Amino acid sequence: MLMTIVRGVLRQARRHPVYVGLDLLGLALGIGVFLSLALLVRYEYSFNAGLPGVGRLVRVDEHWTPAGVVPLEEADATFHALPFLRQDFPEIEEALRLLGTTFRIERDGKFTRFDGYATDTSFFRVFGIGLSRGVADDALSRPDGLVLSEKAAMKAFGTLDVLGRRVELNRSGERSAHVVTGVMRPVRGPNLLANTEMVVPIPGEEERTRSCFQYWGSSCGEVILRLKKPEDIDAMRARMRDFVIRHASGAENDHVAIGPHPEKMYQLLLVPLRQTHFYDVNVEDSDDGVDRNVVNAIGLIGFLALVLACANTVNLATARAGLRAREVAVRKTLGATRRLLFVQFMGEALFVTTIAGVVGLVLCEILTPEIASLTGEAVTVSYGFVLAVLLVVIVLSGLASGFHPAAVLSGYRPAAVLAAARMPSGGRGAARLRNSLVAGQFAIAIAIIICTLVIDRQTAFMRNADRGYEKSGLLIGQQMRGSDPVLQRRLLDTLRSVPGVVAVGFGELEPAPHSLSHTIYQYAGPNGPVEIQMLFDRVGSGYFEVYRPRLLAGRWFDPMRGQDEGPDAGNLQDGTGSFNVVVNAKATVKLGFSTPGQAVGQVLTAGGLKARIIGVIDDVRFVSPRDPVGPEILFFDTLSRVPFVNPIPAVRFQGVTRAVMAERLNRAWTSVTPDLASNFQPADERMAAFFTGDERRGHIFTVGAVVALLIACMGLYSLAAFSAIRRVHEIGIRKTLGASGGQIAILLLRDFLRPVALACVLACPVAWVLMRSWLSGFDQRVSLSPLHFLIATAGAFLIATLTVLGQTFRVARAEPARALRAQ
Amino acid sequence: MLISLSHIQRLYRSDEVETTALLDIELGIEAGEFVAIMGPSGCGKSTLLNILGTIDRPTGGSYSFGGQELTELGEAALAAFRRENLGYVFQSFNLIDELTIEENIELALIYRRMPKAERRRRVAHAMDHVGIAHRARHYPSQLSGGQQQRAAIARAIVGEPRLILADEPTGNLDTENGAQVMDILQRLNDEGATIVMVTHSPSHADLAKRRVDMLDGQVVISVRNAI
Ligand SMILES: Nc1ncnc2c1ncn2[C@@H]1O[C@H](COP(=O)(O)OP(=O)(O)OP(=O)(O)O)[C@@H](O)[C@H]1O
Ligand SMILES: [Mg+2]
Repeated sequence: MLMTIVRGVLRQARRHPVYVGLDLLGLALGIGVFLSLALLVRYEYSFNAGLPGVGRLVRVDEHWTPAGVVPLEEADATFHALPFLRQDFPEIEEALRLLGTTFRIERDGKFTRFDGYATDTSFFRVFGIGLSRGVADDALSRPDGLVLSEKAAMKAFGTLDVLGRRVELNRSGERSAHVVTGVMRPVRGPNLLANTEMVVPIPGEEERTRSCFQYWGSSCGEVILRLKKPEDIDAMRARMRDFVIRHASGAENDHVAIGPHPEKMYQLLLVPLRQTHFYDVNVEDSDDGVDRNVVNAIGLIGFLALVLACANTVNLATARAGLRAREVAVRKTLGATRRLLFVQFMGEALFVTTIAGVVGLVLCEILTPEIASLTGEAVTVSYGFVLAVLLVVIVLSGLASGFHPAAVLSGYRPAAVLAAARMPSGGRGAARLRNSLVAGQFAIAIAIIICTLVIDRQTAFMRNADRGYEKSGLLIGQQMRGSDPVLQRRLLDTLRSVPGVVAVGFGELEPAPHSLSHTIYQYAGPNGPVEIQMLFDRVGSGYFEVYRPRLLAGRWFDPMRGQDEGPDAGNLQDGTGSFNVVVNAKATVKLGFSTPGQAVGQVLTAGGLKARIIGVIDDVRFVSPRDPVGPEILFFDTLSRVPFVNPIPAVRFQGVTRAVMAERLNRAWTSVTPDLASNFQPADERMAAFFTGDERRGHIFTVGAVVALLIACMGLYSLAAFSAIRRVHEIGIRKTLGASGGQIAILLLRDFLRPVALACVLACPVAWVLMRSWLSGFDQRVSLSPLHFLIATAGAFLIATLTVLGQTFRVARAEPARALRAQ
Repeated sequence: MLISLSHIQRLYRSDEVETTALLDIELGIEAGEFVAIMGPSGCGKSTLLNILGTIDRPTGGSYSFGGQELTELGEAALAAFRRENLGYVFQSFNLIDELTIEENIELALIYRRMPKAERRRRVAHAMDHVGIAHRARHYPSQLSGGQQQRAAIARAIVGEPRLILADEPTGNLDTENGAQVMDILQRLNDEGATIVMVTHSPSHADLAKRRVDMLDGQVVISVRNAI
């Protein structure tokens, strides 16, 4: 039997090399793309799965819901809560603080950067990480301990035998001496520690001084809990509100607490680490969030590619079945049973899909690294998974593609076939099946193309959209540490004297801000009091010239006017003083002004602090295009009285290239603060993280669109070729009756394109719904223009036409006499 | 003279072999004639008919129809010529399987851009003429050979062509059906159509006004039947 099957397939391949070739290639392509995307999806879904006992690991999130603002969830939680958590929840086996830190090792004036954490000694126990050098329990017990990842050890020293080596680490300007106490093994699969290169104990100094260790409501890192039992989480969640009331409440002026009723605006949430990857899309301060819908969409594309390819195989197999009718009739006449024939054709289909599967596996090998580099994910081909999936795919697609032809073929009545003058086409049913498959294929391809176009437009739009400030000629520097006015003034002076620099200014916010601080302001409006939460920024002289925001009403700060000078830390904390401020357009809207001009001259209050609006600027977008720009309040600071807190310097330049300018600025910076690595970047680079995710996934969609269209066209091509052969005779008759070549070509084209037209009708509404919901996730977005739909459908028609045109012309131009003889 | 063929030659070249289907045809046909072409199998009768019907091109010689030289016309002009002037009855019916009898007949008018109502009227008339009106909605495979042949004739005459070409229209039929078909053709000829018919049946040939005998791609005898 096996030999009969193999021989059958080989004979087919020799008789119809084009059909069999296209069939195989399409299926292999579909399987290859499916496998690669399945690997990608598996990768995304397996985030943190490789951490031993991950089911018991939980992150504590802070959820803020102050009155009048969009609720905000942060992946960071105050470290101040940790002892109370331990004390109140016996379910906690172990707890851990993760203070994300950038380390630099300086050698010969050059900085090598390492990412990692300052953390607790329980780090290795909680995450179940083994050390290949050193002892896990002791590694972080001495304050100058340092554990490197194996990769980092190689990067820093070129060897893994680094125990006892002394290193000086530079953490944003602060130097500390360390001794290497361990080297940790990597954790299998994607996880939150994948990029962790260095781990050190939390410095006692920070623990004593930083507010996130001492106050409720201030956070700078993540709190991770290891529970005794995974199911404990529900019981803990139920008690969390009481926990917050018990520990975070205090008097109105108690800075450690969050007011008398913290539970009204503050919640602690428990997020299993296994879920954070998808969960974090909507969480601040977490950078590895991925939209689960997008991952599913990518999986769906892979699956659709496979479905398309299978549809092709079904299509071609049924079409080919007609050509084999005579063979079947003869076999039956010679005594073959229906069952035997069914088994034979089924076997042939399985054999073909197996070959396609093997080719698909090779394609997967080639595609996966490409897709990995497109998405920036470290996806690799894992054979256990791929082979298991491949087996299922081969069997299922083999059965799917073999069933219809096998049933049709084995069902032919020999007398009818042998008596018929011409080859049966499988009847009207088969023709309808073929057309609906082509329509389905093109519908999928067109829908993916529309989505690709929209995603493409949106990602391009996000990059280039107006952000309310002038991006070109602007470089933004590294955030400074602390509030030393002498150092701040010296830096400004030094940067100002660099040739090419037009203006220099400090701000406390930057594109892609690291931290946002909000304050609630009241306005006694004509329609009653309004209370809104506003983002706080302190800007210096020169800021306006550097960023060039658009002034909509009133005036900008003037260093010559003393009353423009902003508050100091004491004013802010105690709520005292009266100051001039500039607000953004969004703030005027939220405050209820119908024009920016109306806001000018009005006074906002926060406790006893009075803020008089002297000017309104257009919204400046430092946040992701997904998020709305919030109301913002700007205070002025000439550095004459009040120092900035962790200011970010920015520079407007002219007359030199960006690279040269950045180079000069970096040099100037080093002469002022040699300990802090300088990092002058254009705004777009700062914001890159906001776009790259969507752009990368956009690439996947493009790949999917191309593959889908390719497979669909392969299907249409072979169908056209087959149909052309079958219709040669009919065309001969029509031409004898006076049809011109053009009329025949149109007739054929219309037949071939009818399923494509149907596909457009099916695809457009689906793509519209999908893309509308996707776009709704962006605050700054393109409108869903009919143009995308037109382009996609016109493109599909054009490509489909080109695909069948050759066949059409060949048939349309054939001499009728020859065609009629061909029967 | 409606049709005049001079020095018509048709060679078939395939790789090595060269077949001469028509060697040197000299033939004139008057309007209103009924010509029967006879000859042994393979002598070139079908080829001649195909050339008359312009669905095949001669490799040499000239073919003029109503004073117009057809060998010089392009594809589109020939299609138009067929549309306006020609009715073709094939030896093997050549009805399109996927269309009903009615639709098959209508096909001959569709390419003329005739209004729908007019087409309906003519199709009904043609079907009446050959007596298959009761089979209008059937598909060719549901009809007997004789009925299919009559449908093919209806399709040939529905456009009221000046020239009807029929390749062995009675070849596949029994005596009775054959006689019916001859009857239809004679009637059409009486109504003014010029007919060229290939046949192997001497008795059917005798029903024509003229008989042309062919041998090895040449016309050997052309005689007028006494009526
Ligand atoms: N396409 C072709 N290629 C090669 N030779 C051909 C072709 N068409 C016809 N011939 C040859 O031309 C000759 C004339 O063929 P034609 O079909 O005209 O014969 P016929 O007189 O109609 O025969 P019959 O009475 O059997 O139908 C034959 O020898 C045939 O083999
Ligand atoms: Mg013949």
